[in-house]
Amino acid sequence: MIRSSLTRLTLILLALLALAGCKAAGKRPVVKIGYMICNSEEETLSRFAPLTRYLSDRCGVDFVMVPIDTHDFEKRFKQGDLAFTHTNSLLYVILRENHGLQLVASEKRGQFGSRSAGAIIARKGSGIEKLADIRGKRMAFGPMLAPTGYLAEYDLMLAAGINPEHDLAYYSIPPGSYKHEKLIYGVLYGKYDVAAAPMLDLEVMAREGKISPDDFVILAQSKPAPYCTFGAARNADPELVKKVREALLALKPGDTAEVDGERLKVLKAAAIDGYEELLDSDYDLIRQMAKRVNMPPYQKY
Amino acid sequence: MFSDAYDKLLWLLLALAVAAIVLLLVVGGGPGGGKQAGLGKAVEREMAYRARVELIGKLYGPVETLRRSGNNSAALLKLDELIRKYPGEAHGYILQGEILREMGTADEALASFVQGVKLNGDYLDANSPLSRRDEIQRLVDEDAKSIGARAAANPDNRTAAAALQRVNYLKSRLAGGCE
Repeated sequence: MIRSSLTRLTLILLALLALAGCKAAGKRPVVKIGYMICNSEEETLSRFAPLTRYLSDRCGVDFVMVPIDTHDFEKRFKQGDLAFTHTNSLLYVILRENHGLQLVASEKRGQFGSRSAGAIIARKGSGIEKLADIRGKRMAFGPMLAPTGYLAEYDLMLAAGINPEHDLAYYSIPPGSYKHEKLIYGVLYGKYDVAAAPMLDLEVMAREGKISPDDFVILAQSKPAPYCTFGAARNADPELVKKVREALLALKPGDTAEVDGERLKVLKAAAIDGYEELLDSDYDLIRQMAKRVNMPPYQKY
Repeated sequence: MFSDAYDKLLWLLLALAVAAIVLLLVVGGGPGGGKQAGLGKAVEREMAYRARVELIGKLYGPVETLRRSGNNSAALLKLDELIRKYPGEAHGYILQGEILREMGTADEALASFVQGVKLNGDYLDANSPLSRRDEIQRLVDEDAKSIGARAAANPDNRTAAAALQRVNYLKSRLAGGCE
């Protein structure tokens, strides 16, 4: 009787242990990465799904993508559940100054590598040949927190003694998604006289055959400054931060990840060339511009 | 094949070079011995080289014009087109390095110079009409200290280490080292 009870108890315990073992093997920690929405939520999710999967495979955790609008990013970050961030360099500086975000890696794309520049453009043949000619003209800026689609150009204009608030006929920001492309097309087809265009977008659009560089006059250009950046929250697991940095820096053009049953090239899908390990001091150029233009995190009312 | 004026020019120069080579082979093939054949090869090399220098001047002329007018961003956009069209031509990378350096991105400038020099060592030859030896020497002299200090202050930073490696590579090539 006792023997039979003991055998039964042992069998039940073994079954429970086996079940517990199975559960533990299938479950990995879930970690959130906040991705700043670039052109649209759909585009951002599709671009970075293979990269997120690659990071999960390499780091042994289940990374989850959280697409966040640029203007909501800081508020969303303050909630405290994002361990990693992928943002532009101005948002990196804001989160660094206000919340102690750590620098993980900087994205490389195009001729300037991990940097990009801002340019003020006009259509060739429009009669606008130099920066002083933009007084009284119709201008389009990119999104307000764009380092090379707003901040750099605003700074260039202030340095040239042109106040965008008073010296233009008007300025606006194109609505909806793909704002940078819209303002470049806007200049090409005459909706605006001048526009604040990131050099990277001009380069990419020229490569894709959408525009020809010969169609535009570049009236002014900023110094190249760091662009898209991976960051980690102050309280993120240091071992995981190290693993993510290593995985990003190790990325090669041939690396793939499986998304929805399809094996995709990680870098190609994300339209990036790789990652670099910049220093926080490399972002000082962004800080200086933000101070001069009176923008966050240094804005004074 | 003949999509623009540059392509037409390229094919014309190529045809001239081939015709010259054929002519030299015919002349060199006659009586006269090995000395004459050797002389023919030297002339042939010289002609091909001059044709290349001429072609480079025509191809990259618009980039130089934009650069001289201070429009570095437009020059870079134009150059990007040419680098994609002629990826094996070193001159594009050398020009790109010069413009990026002017724009204040030393790391990227170094990477472009290294790529250009790897594709064609003539840019380090003081006697070549394509020589950029002085510019590269200046770049190495000016950047070696700041990049070295940056790498020393951040020993684990791979980007700083890579930049230092590029400076050292150019130093070695300037000193006459081979790959």
